[in-house]
Amino acid sequence: MLKVENLYAGYTDVPVLHDVSVSVEAGQFVSIVGPNGAGKSTLFKTISGTVAPMSGVISFEGIDLRTVTPPKRPHLGIAHVPEGRQVFPSLTVMENLEMGAFTEAGQKNWQTNIGQIFEWFPRLDERRQQLAGTLSGGEQQMLAIGRGLASSPKLLMLDEPSMGLAPAVADFIFDKLIEIRRETGLTILLVEQRVAEALEFADHGYVLETGRVVLEGDHGTLNADDRVRQAYLGM
Amino acid sequence: MTEFQILTESILNALVAGLLMGAIYGLMCVGLAMIFGIMKVINFAQGDFMMMGMFVALFFFSTFTQQLVGDFVGPYIAVTLAAPIMFAVGYLVHMALISRVTGSRTAKLDGEGHYAQLILTLGLSLILQNGAMMLLGPYMVTIATPLSSSAWMITPIWDDMLLIFINKARGVAAVISVLVIIAIGLMITRSRLGKSLRAAADNPEASTYMGIDVNNAHRIAFALGIAITAVAGGLLATNYPFQPFVGLEFVIIMYAGVVLGGIGSIIGPFWGGMTIGIIQQMSTLVLPFQLQNSAIFVLFLLVVILRPQGLFGRVSERT
Repeated sequence: MLKVENLYAGYTDVPVLHDVSVSVEAGQFVSIVGPNGAGKSTLFKTISGTVAPMSGVISFEGIDLRTVTPPKRPHLGIAHVPEGRQVFPSLTVMENLEMGAFTEAGQKNWQTNIGQIFEWFPRLDERRQQLAGTLSGGEQQMLAIGRGLASSPKLLMLDEPSMGLAPAVADFIFDKLIEIRRETGLTILLVEQRVAEALEFADHGYVLETGRVVLEGDHGTLNADDRVRQAYLGM
Repeated sequence: MTEFQILTESILNALVAGLLMGAIYGLMCVGLAMIFGIMKVINFAQGDFMMMGMFVALFFFSTFTQQLVGDFVGPYIAVTLAAPIMFAVGYLVHMALISRVTGSRTAKLDGEGHYAQLILTLGLSLILQNGAMMLLGPYMVTIATPLSSSAWMITPIWDDMLLIFINKARGVAAVISVLVIIAIGLMITRSRLGKSLRAAADNPEASTYMGIDVNNAHRIAFALGIAITAVAGGLLATNYPFQPFVGLEFVIIMYAGVVLGGIGSIIGPFWGGMTIGIIQQMSTLVLPFQLQNSAIFVLFLLVVILRPQGLFGRVSERT
């Protein structure tokens, strides 16, 4: 579904990502883990188009994404839930979700989607008319995920959903993601620093360090790898 | 009439005149608010685009709407026709010039491109003023409607000795201004387009992730802002003589109105403009005519000192 091959990308002339190749098959849950500054968010931004690639191939369902302008990409079915939530602070919760449903598919399935989103996150239902800027961090994360789901995506990309949240809230968000995944079979690409949780449910995982993929494999391979066990899982 | 009645009469007349002018100022300010308040683009040529709108409306009026629908309705049809023309002008100016100093291109620059916007729009302003001067000459003109030389006379219920005059042209202009603002308010708060404009202003990056074309949203907001101010100008032109340099006196009022009403708000600037209209007209009761505009700035300074977020602005937003 999503194919990134030999990607070089960065903000200046110096690339942040070196020869990165990542692929996500339809129906898979793929996790990318790695420390701060490894280039995880840059990879997501390159897929969404807010960072331009220097070289390499990015394709989604066989379409070369370099030929698609960034604001057209969500309409293909890519939902990007950005790092740090980035909700629209002066719009209400409901309006934020409506903006999520800006894609054709999102508009068509609005009624079903909004019902499901409120079922998963009843807190959002309670706060429909509240300005998103006044929500707590956890609620904003729920809204950011809800906003992504409202677009009826084929691929949901989540950039560090646990960032800046209290551990209990982060656990809640992870539980919800797993519930959503179980109920819908949605294809998910997750970037996380909480390695244990991120790898636990993933079909496939990548370890990104200083802009390079240093290790990849399924859940069992990664958990069994000594480097991962020592550096990330503390075992 | 007693001295008290004379005083009451002058106060009421000044207040009514202030409300009418205030409504038109308010509409102007809402136009600038779309550009400066919402999209955070500095446009010093806003007053000159208004001047352009006034001349376009005058052109339509004198070439055909006057003959077609007459002196009474003609001016308003001309103003209505000027709106899409000015929308197109705004759209093209944004595409050709403003987009080079705004949006994603300048987001990471020092001052977010405001320095370049300042210089560019100041240049545009000079070109528009002097271009209009070369083409049209320095003459005072107006969209002549018989309404501007007649008035409704109203007597307050508590004292039939008092008379309040409402200039008909100004009265009609004020009513239309209020209707246009209600329409814009509904568009911004309720429609999908309006919400996407607010989202694009709130967080351009996240808007892109939603599938909103941020550059296009900026272009539409800019064009709308120009069209709205031009409509206000056209309405003003029915009761206010103007010439190519008219923009200068109003651009100051517009910025003051937007700051008074609160940056980032759409309806706030209307009340900012309204406040300015009332203060300006009421000040004539105690100050000589030439000091009208100083009264505005005394108020402006007071608001900046006492309520720096503007009358309707929020102190800060959590993100």
